[in-house]
Amino acid sequence: MMKQGIVSLLLLVCMYLGVYAQNSHSLTGVVKDTAGEPVIGAAVAIKNTPTGCYTNEQGRYRLSVSSGEYVLVVSMMGYEPQERKVKVTSSLRIDFVLKEDAVSLESVHVYGKSKAQQLREGAYAVNAMNIKPLINTTQSLNAIVNKTTGVRVREEGGVGSDFDLSINGMSGNSIRYFLDGMPLDTKGTGVTLANLPTNIIDRIEIFKGVIPAYLGSDALGGAINVITNQQKRNFLDASYSIGSFHTHQVDLNAQYVEPKTGVIIKPVFSVNYSKNDYKMKNVQIRNAEGTEFITTDRRRFHDDYLSLFGQMEVGVTDQSWADAFFVSASLSKIDKELQTGSTQSWVYGMAERNTKSANVSARYNKSDFLLDDLNVSASLSHTWDHSETVDTTYRKYFWDGSYINGHHSEVRGRARSWRHYKRPMTIVRSNVEYKLNDAHSLNFNYLLNRTGNKQYDEVDDSYVPTNDVLMKHIIGLSYNQSLFDGKMNNVLFVKDYINHLKVEQTELSSITGSDEVKSSNTESYWGYGIGTRYTWASPFALKASYEHSVRLPISRELLGNGSTIYPNIALRPESSENFNVGVFGTLSLGRTHQLYYEVNGFVRLVDDYIQATVLDQEGMMQYENVDAVHIKGIEGEIRYDWADKLGLMFNASYQDSRNQQKYLASGALSATYKNRTPNKPWTFINAEASYTFHQVFLPDSKLRVAYDYQWVHWFYLTWEAYGSAQTKPRIPSQHISNASLLYSWKNDKYNLSLECTNLFDKLTYDNYMLQKPGRAFFAKFRVFIH
Amino acid sequence: MRKFKFVEMAFMALMLAASMAACSDDNEEPVVEPEPEPEVQVKHRYELSVCPVKHGGMSMNKNGTFVRSVEALTADQPMVEFNGKGLEITNKYTMESITKGKYHYQVPESKDRFVKFSIEVDAAGNELVKLAQERPFVKNEFPARKYTHAWIDKGETLVLVATDGDHKKVFYSKLKESDLSIIEEGDLNIPIPEGFGSLSTSGILTYREKSNDLVYFYIGKDKETGGMTDAATSNLFVAIIDPATMAVKSNEVIDYSLAEESAASAYGELMQNTVMYDEDGNLYLAGMVTRDGAECGSLLKMKAGAKNVEQYNGFPEPEGKLLTIQYLGNNKALAYSRDNSLGTKIDSPSHFYSIIDLTTGKRERVKFNGTDLPYCSGRFSQRSVVVDGKAYIGVANQKDLTAGVYIYDIKTGNVEKGIDLQSGFCFDIIRVVDAE
Repeated sequence: MMKQGIVSLLLLVCMYLGVYAQNSHSLTGVVKDTAGEPVIGAAVAIKNTPTGCYTNEQGRYRLSVSSGEYVLVVSMMGYEPQERKVKVTSSLRIDFVLKEDAVSLESVHVYGKSKAQQLREGAYAVNAMNIKPLINTTQSLNAIVNKTTGVRVREEGGVGSDFDLSINGMSGNSIRYFLDGMPLDTKGTGVTLANLPTNIIDRIEIFKGVIPAYLGSDALGGAINVITNQQKRNFLDASYSIGSFHTHQVDLNAQYVEPKTGVIIKPVFSVNYSKNDYKMKNVQIRNAEGTEFITTDRRRFHDDYLSLFGQMEVGVTDQSWADAFFVSASLSKIDKELQTGSTQSWVYGMAERNTKSANVSARYNKSDFLLDDLNVSASLSHTWDHSETVDTTYRKYFWDGSYINGHHSEVRGRARSWRHYKRPMTIVRSNVEYKLNDAHSLNFNYLLNRTGNKQYDEVDDSYVPTNDVLMKHIIGLSYNQSLFDGKMNNVLFVKDYINHLKVEQTELSSITGSDEVKSSNTESYWGYGIGTRYTWASPFALKASYEHSVRLPISRELLGNGSTIYPNIALRPESSENFNVGVFGTLSLGRTHQLYYEVNGFVRLVDDYIQATVLDQEGMMQYENVDAVHIKGIEGEIRYDWADKLGLMFNASYQDSRNQQKYLASGALSATYKNRTPNKPWTFINAEASYTFHQVFLPDSKLRVAYDYQWVHWFYLTWEAYGSAQTKPRIPSQHISNASLLYSWKNDKYNLSLECTNLFDKLTYDNYMLQKPGRAFFAKFRVFIH
Repeated sequence: MRKFKFVEMAFMALMLAASMAACSDDNEEPVVEPEPEPEVQVKHRYELSVCPVKHGGMSMNKNGTFVRSVEALTADQPMVEFNGKGLEITNKYTMESITKGKYHYQVPESKDRFVKFSIEVDAAGNELVKLAQERPFVKNEFPARKYTHAWIDKGETLVLVATDGDHKKVFYSKLKESDLSIIEEGDLNIPIPEGFGSLSTSGILTYREKSNDLVYFYIGKDKETGGMTDAATSNLFVAIIDPATMAVKSNEVIDYSLAEESAASAYGELMQNTVMYDEDGNLYLAGMVTRDGAECGSLLKMKAGAKNVEQYNGFPEPEGKLLTIQYLGNNKALAYSRDNSLGTKIDSPSHFYSIIDLTTGKRERVKFNGTDLPYCSGRFSQRSVVVDGKAYIGVANQKDLTAGVYIYDIKTGNVEKGIDLQSGFCFDIIRVVDAE
């Protein structure tokens, strides 16, 4: 029955492809300005439909449409928009010349085929999201990426809580984060997807398993690259949001172009505060006599979170010596009270973690540098990062805020500590791209990352301070080719990871391995990969990619933490063989209906997994290499858009992660060999529906109502095969509904959004015994003046 | 099941007797009724704990701890399996526990209370925790796992002792066994040894019934470095404490050549037995000495009523660290120790069982059919119990060997094969509890 169904479906797809191929025509052309220069990034679209694209670096565009009459619209910020009626009976070439509009800047509509979609249709397995439509909401980047296929963000609590993001089942240090191609850490270790202001962002690129060489990353399982807005005109973008649990957020993002000199000034400022005093349900407190526990609901009382981020970027564009040159300085400060340990039964009332960071950086890029078609970009960044964990109170707290004076510190359960971590980081990144011709290009990337790791304790005099340095050089070379009029796109790349370690300590060599490696040691590891995409027609394309990826150990894993983690200087990098294969396509059903789909399968074969292990000595740990996991999975997404009104989206992800550690240390075959890896969500879905009403109450206005739903299948905390089901700790299924109402008027100049998260007030957990917030309401007002 | 069998048998016997009586001739010899089969009362249950991937104990096991409760450990019992079976205590209770009668007593993972619970088996054969009592901390707050204990007042009072986070002072709580109510809390007058900065994590507390006193073994440390470098330690001290007043009656230093530390200084006897008494009330303590830079075992003896250990060498020429000791009777003890030459890591298969003659110190590995029981992994394991004249000795599996239990008959010295366990786990604990 199932076979018949699959055959029927395939036949149906083939028939559709055949019919579509007969009726599909190309609309191509070039968009230039009055000076004859190509206009890059102009939106070219079929009016009143979601069909559209952006011009490439040569100003070229290409659209596929069926026979019929259309109105072709071209728009670009700073230019007068143009419309042209066309009757399509065969493939056509239509060029445009745009005039600059010095008086006002019209907002540009985002059409179906954005840059994000272009990237999705490249050779890499990637989720690419256009953030623009979401800027008016109060959602953090974490919440946004959590709705994409294959990605799970597991949060420990409310605003600013610690989180673990996984891509195709791999998480933690396996995932690297970037901001415009630079490691996100450069803004400070406290700056994450949870608090990065959304209004500076244009789109997010989530690379799965296979990571482009130009990112200069030693990520094992994936990378997230956040791309900021690079508009060229003046604007002011300001917003304030207020929400449940005493949550407030202020974002300010502006750009001023000094008319005489052309100097661009870009200030960014963001404040995020939440008391996070949401209700904890069914927690235990002591009775009045203090002799028994009673179960009740209580609000969180020590979970304040404050993040401040400020940045000033100054530079110039379109100079003879530089397409863009900017210097910037940023400051960030994050203060966070700690409410619980790794489960909610560990209640804290005084502990906190604070981080402050400062960064200076410069970036430069120039096309046709010395040679035609030689594009160069370079960045230099230095970050001072200082975080502290304050654990100086001997108290045992209960959920009603009461406590007893205990004998051990809250977090570590040991002596009082006020641990400081100073991690200065210097990044040098350079990228050179050379276009051999329209179809072939080479890209060379070099990244130097020097990270210090100085630790000391302010009150625990028994703590031995450490001061280590880890230096990484990552060199990447990739070759891109575009064949058959862009129908086929291939990329091949090779990466060299060079790890330099200088360690002076030689004690306990039998444990730390310091006798196995030189005190000053440089190791080189190779990674490589290939990706391909072939598009038969717009509705059907195939892509596949592979990478042998390597993750170098971080300083904590190599050098320990000076107290409870021993160094393991002989630690090898993790490596993984990552495979992706997928099909995708866009079906245009009539003029205003568009259906996008994608289905991807993936395999991750991780070896030499770096895992913390317990040592004989009291409370001591050490990272070691062990056989790891094999992950196989499938995921898919389908999206439907009707005109600029109705949007529907559904995606589902399934991941099967199996332990590959075959033998116990004693030599016996391990009972967990090939068992499902515990404490990992393995099936989850997201669905979203939105409808936009135009011209509601006010001219140039729109009202968007949206509803989204997330479901995560329950999973066990430990190995699923063992123990009776009724006694096994499990993380229950999540059913979360969110609803939002967004009203914009004066062409998005003013925006007001009202949102309700966890609409049905479900008790939800991402982690074992760590309750997430219940129903919450948020309102945001945003002004975008340009 | 056995009860049912008995009832069934008794009923059948009754029916048989009734029918015989009905058919009998009054003149015939009176029928001798068959003796009913004696009811086999299950006095004990055995709780076996395993961990996947790595041995449990200490605090960092994230792989789960699974417990099966069985009536007997003899070879005729079905293999102990964990596929879909067994109580999982992960993240709720610690595998380190105080066991007495049918109950377990501990500071659970929440680290905010004392609990008393038993492990029951329901009609479907599933093990479940039955919580008997729990009490919030009142004054003293104990860390999970890191405390030591003793039973006083004929088992009606539980004394818990631990050191604070700075390891500067020793505090205690007395709990009433029946309802876990706190009877008394306070500090012990145990000073940090002169020249040193802190105390050992918990020390070892034990109750000497013959002299009605508590004995507390502890050391001083130069500096609590968290273990990165071996902190200089003081000699081992032994304090005698009045259980009624908790006053320290004496506090003496132990000869460094006999023991530098006790075998367990952090986790008390929550998992491993490191103290035992002979019939005369003499106390034996598993100790640790350094030989050629390696940790080796020593066995100390303290006569009943004495304030210090005597010159005694109960564990001569050690191959490695002595980990657990259990008194078997007749001046013999069961020891679980390590052969350093075969590995010193927690999971190294270098640990073995032997029988020690406490008079001569002579020891011999436990053998089955003339062959030594295999070396096991598991530094923090307590896979042996002594009950009803037998020592049940569990062996963790190695390549080509299944995990299982051997039964040592204390009187005859015979060893027979006992129950098997599903292979592939780290076998850590056998506990014996009273059955209903």
